[in-house]
Amino acid sequence: MLLVLSTARKDPVEDEFSRVVNALPGLIWIALPKGNVDFVNRYWCEYTGIGMGGACGVGWQTAIHPKDLPELLERWQSIIVSGEPGEMEARLRRFDGEYRWFVFAVNPMRDEAGQILRWYGLNSDIEDRMRAKEDLHAHQGGSFLSIGDGIPALISFTSPTGEIESVNRHYLEYFGITLDEAKSWGTNDMVHPAHRQTTIDSWRRSVQTGKTFDVEHRVRRADGVYRWFQSRGLPLNDVDGRIVSWFVTATDIDDRKLAEEALRNSERNFRQIVDSIPGLVCTMTPTGEVEQLNRPLLEYFGKASAELKGWKMTDAVHPEDLPRVVAAFTDSVTTGIPYDVEHRCRRFDGIYRWFQVRALPVQNSDGQIAGWYVLLTDIEDLKQAEESLESGELDLRSVINTIPMTAWSTEADGYCDFVNQRWLDYSGLSLEQVRGWGWSAVIHPDDLADLVGHWQSCLASGASVNTEARMRRFDGVYRWFLFLGNALRDESGDIVKWFGTNVDIEDRKESDEALRTSARNLDLIINTIPMLAWSTGPDGFVEFLNKRWLDYAGMSAEEGAGWGWAAVIHPEDAKGLLDYWQAAMASGTDVDVEARMRRFDGVYRWFLFRASPLRDEMGNIVKWYGTNVDIEDRKRSDEALRANERNLRQLTETIPEMLWSATSEGAIDYCSGRLLDYTGFTPDEIMGANWTKLLHPDDVDRTAREWMSCITTGAPYRVEVRTFHAADRNYRWCETKALPLLDQEGRILKWHGTVVDTHDRKRIEEELRRSEAFLAEGQRLNLSGSFSWRLDTDEVVFTDQLYPIFEFEHRTPVTLERVASRLHPEDVQLMYDKIALAREGQSDISYEIRLRMSNGSIKYLRAVAHATRDQEGQMELVGAIQDVTERRVSEEALGKVRSELARMARVASLGALTASIAHEVSQPLSGIITNANTGLRMLGAVPPNVDGTLETVRRTLRDGNRASEVISKLRSLFTKKDFTAEIVDLNEATREVIALLMSELQRSRLMLRIQLADDLPPVMGDRIQLQQIILNLLLNASEAMTDVDNRSRHIVVTTERDGVDSVRFTVQDVGVGLDPQNMEQLFDAFYTTKNGGMGMGLSVSRSIIESHHGRLWALPNDGPGATFAFSLPRAPEGVGVIEDDDLGSIQRSALNTMRSVMRDL
Amino acid sequence: MKNKRSLISVVDDDESIRESLPDLLRELGFAAHTFSSGEEFLASDYVDQTNCLILDIAMPGMSGPELQCELTSRRITIPIIFITAQRDEAVRPRLLKLGAVECLLKPFSEADLLGALDAVF
Repeated sequence: MLLVLSTARKDPVEDEFSRVVNALPGLIWIALPKGNVDFVNRYWCEYTGIGMGGACGVGWQTAIHPKDLPELLERWQSIIVSGEPGEMEARLRRFDGEYRWFVFAVNPMRDEAGQILRWYGLNSDIEDRMRAKEDLHAHQGGSFLSIGDGIPALISFTSPTGEIESVNRHYLEYFGITLDEAKSWGTNDMVHPAHRQTTIDSWRRSVQTGKTFDVEHRVRRADGVYRWFQSRGLPLNDVDGRIVSWFVTATDIDDRKLAEEALRNSERNFRQIVDSIPGLVCTMTPTGEVEQLNRPLLEYFGKASAELKGWKMTDAVHPEDLPRVVAAFTDSVTTGIPYDVEHRCRRFDGIYRWFQVRALPVQNSDGQIAGWYVLLTDIEDLKQAEESLESGELDLRSVINTIPMTAWSTEADGYCDFVNQRWLDYSGLSLEQVRGWGWSAVIHPDDLADLVGHWQSCLASGASVNTEARMRRFDGVYRWFLFLGNALRDESGDIVKWFGTNVDIEDRKESDEALRTSARNLDLIINTIPMLAWSTGPDGFVEFLNKRWLDYAGMSAEEGAGWGWAAVIHPEDAKGLLDYWQAAMASGTDVDVEARMRRFDGVYRWFLFRASPLRDEMGNIVKWYGTNVDIEDRKRSDEALRANERNLRQLTETIPEMLWSATSEGAIDYCSGRLLDYTGFTPDEIMGANWTKLLHPDDVDRTAREWMSCITTGAPYRVEVRTFHAADRNYRWCETKALPLLDQEGRILKWHGTVVDTHDRKRIEEELRRSEAFLAEGQRLNLSGSFSWRLDTDEVVFTDQLYPIFEFEHRTPVTLERVASRLHPEDVQLMYDKIALAREGQSDISYEIRLRMSNGSIKYLRAVAHATRDQEGQMELVGAIQDVTERRVSEEALGKVRSELARMARVASLGALTASIAHEVSQPLSGIITNANTGLRMLGAVPPNVDGTLETVRRTLRDGNRASEVISKLRSLFTKKDFTAEIVDLNEATREVIALLMSELQRSRLMLRIQLADDLPPVMGDRIQLQQIILNLLLNASEAMTDVDNRSRHIVVTTERDGVDSVRFTVQDVGVGLDPQNMEQLFDAFYTTKNGGMGMGLSVSRSIIESHHGRLWALPNDGPGATFAFSLPRAPEGVGVIEDDDLGSIQRSALNTMRSVMRDL
Repeated sequence: MKNKRSLISVVDDDESIRESLPDLLRELGFAAHTFSSGEEFLASDYVDQTNCLILDIAMPGMSGPELQCELTSRRITIPIIFITAQRDEAVRPRLLKLGAVECLLKPFSEADLLGALDAVF
């Protein structure tokens, strides 16, 4: 076969084979044992548009979809290694470039030794089946929609390319639009124009990449108001990971947005105020870091605000002043006491000027320091004046009068003896009016008492004057002034005089006030929120608790600040809450936790703690804003429910069922003990959403979907699902059911469910279903079907699968005549013969038969039937018919090749035999001729050499004898007289030969009728030699009928007694028959009527029979055909195996070698 | 024919050839010597004296063509007439190609033998 297929295409067998395979209406290919394709049929070439040459070797791979190729090759390799039939799936490219799914079924063809010669492959189109599967899957996405209406969220579904296909009911109602309007959101005013383009861009990006869609944008609500929404879209994938749909939810976040906006605005305002203050101002954090410098200050230092980072005090403060400044500042920051230091600051041009620097803590409404507000006042001129004063080098008065500030001096007892011109100009008073205590007339009445008090105490102690008070300007307007004064002492340290200045700080005061107002506004917002609210620094240190919070807890802001608030948390909840809070701060995630808080009256109530971080542009957390919502009432009802359930549970535990319950949201909150025992899980392991752990992983998705659907719609829940069974550590099928418990308004309160083990039932159902499916599918795949046939009425029933095989219209009545009309004319007789056999009572019938279809094609069917009696006692034939055309066609091709090969082997062995005979005979002949020639020459010589001639003649004789010895040796080889004699049961020997020949006879579509006598006595002989003769006679009979078409081709094999002492074996055929004139020549050597035969078979057979003391003869039949028979003497009774002699076994092995040759002689 | 009779060596494992052929050759006027194997021939003193070799193809031990190879490798040129009882059509042209004078199938006639010898002498 190997040889034949791979050689040039001249071989007629090969041509025949190709013709047949090319004619088959399927994509067929053949591959070498290692997998290289070496033949594809015409259909294959036409389908793929690839020629035979292009497909051979690995060329066919170009027709496979690149995505499917690696897996296909891997599978193909594993099939080759296994040597078993197999199947692969891949997309195959049609000539027009379209890929369709195919299943590649492949079978190995083996030689007699079991070696794989070839792989035969068939490609079948399964595109439609695959597509149906995909459709089904895609459809499952759609089922979400039905759930969608039940889900109280705004949901839309889109196509994989992003067009809205459907939205749920809530969606349409909320936005007050139609589905069409929703679909055209990209072009209408549904999305705020400001956000439309970014939304479209973001959506396109998601659709292209398959990444989650997440935007915040303003969308128009039903009332026409644009509100902030967060829209999130997730892709739904099919099994292959392809997006089949998008699932988009929209959440109204407008309130959150507004709150965030308010907060931002508030902070922005504060900055604007600071910036617009006309003094030199900066702000600092509570810990003293510079936050912001207002514009005048930045200009002074010659810095841009961007340079503030990393700006240090050392950069600005005069080195001589630095230690003092640092010490004072540190002190203020730690104690919260206002800071007031004079030091030199370096101006942008490098010149240091004296400043009075005052820092005031900015407190929020709760008294917490929210930051520091720093005012810098340029006192350089004043300082210079003071220095001049001290040096006494200049006229004091003129100096004092020229300095641009108000100045004064008093006696040691505080009696004012001088104010400078500026002071007088400001107040509009004369020096006389001011002198003594007259100045007090311009002090604001509200401030006077404090000022005088301070002044008195300074006079008493000698400490520096440092206070603020409002002074009336000449036009009646009061402005704030800073009063500064120092005592001048003599050498003995006694105070001799006081000198002082008043600095206008009205601008500063104003900005202080503005600052306070701003902070108040922020607090106001927070305080007006109708809930408990608070804020903390990034480290969780509480900076602010709103009024409601403080009112609830009965705490002051100071008590609650930092970590003081924790005191009102219920001791049982405190640790959990603090741990949770620490974890949230570490991760920056939103806080959502419940804990009990003590009310001012000592009563604990449950609160929901919620908080979100506020981040700066860099994403760092700047603050946490949180709220606490009273959920006591909800908790209490929950608790009541739980208590109720506890009672119920005690009840349910006593019920011998596996029970469970779930919340209205579908979280499992109870499993009965029996259920826990069954599954081996603890309640904690499977509560809430963890119940899916109980299920077989393959069932989880389906079950969860069903459950979601039920809790949304309130429909009764029922699934069959594989559930973990602890006892056998395996999953068992269980039926799980649940019903919703409704309140008076029909809302679902709870779900109560049961679990029932249905594994055994399910398994049995499954097996039944599977076996039925197997049968149907198996028959479909096998191209087989079943039939029944009532012999009395000739009623025939076909299963569905048989109709296409016979090409009968589906479910039309089947009659014997219809069946016969389909049969190949040559096989009609065969069918009737088989029917006859069945009627005679043969119970098992197996045969092959051909159909000739309407288009002239031939189908080969294999029928196996069993005769039974039905309930009425009538004979009925029940059987199966398989379309084996494909197999038969290839077998036929194979058979042809095989018989060709056999003939060649026969010729080859014959040739070898002939050569050996020729060699043996040629040698002596050569001698004879040479000797004769020599003798002739010797006799012809003058004188004749008589002695030499005599010698040559003697040698001639000797060589002649030698040649004749060779011949007789050869004959003795065929007509061996000695054999291994043993008891042989001729029936048994015959059955063995028939078993050997059965398939060959069936292929020739021959009927074999076997009539073996029951009481046949054994014979004595060489079993193998006798079987050789039986084989020979059967083959002769079969070959004699090769050309018989007009009658039923059958062979009758008979064994019977032949007289008292003999046994007869007869083979009767209906073949070409015998020519009576040549009857005796039949048994002569080299007589033959066959093309390939040598005419040795019958001759040798007769020799063997005769050596067994028997006879072999032939008779023409009365009708067509001939009968061959042999008769052998029966074995004497009580005889066992006779060992002839040693020679016997040697000859036996020689005979074994000859046997295979003889079969074909 | 010649002053000294030409020597023909016959190498054949078959005794009837060894007996009959030299007699005929002598009748034809040649000197003849027989050997039952190629090895025996090579070991003998006649190798250099042999004018023509009549050589059986199939022999136990060294075959005829092997002897031919051996002689070629020893740079001994002796015209060779092969004789064989095996009727393999493919053998004859191959041997002729390798330099044999003739290849005769046993049994061969006197005329065939003379024809071959004529080609040598």
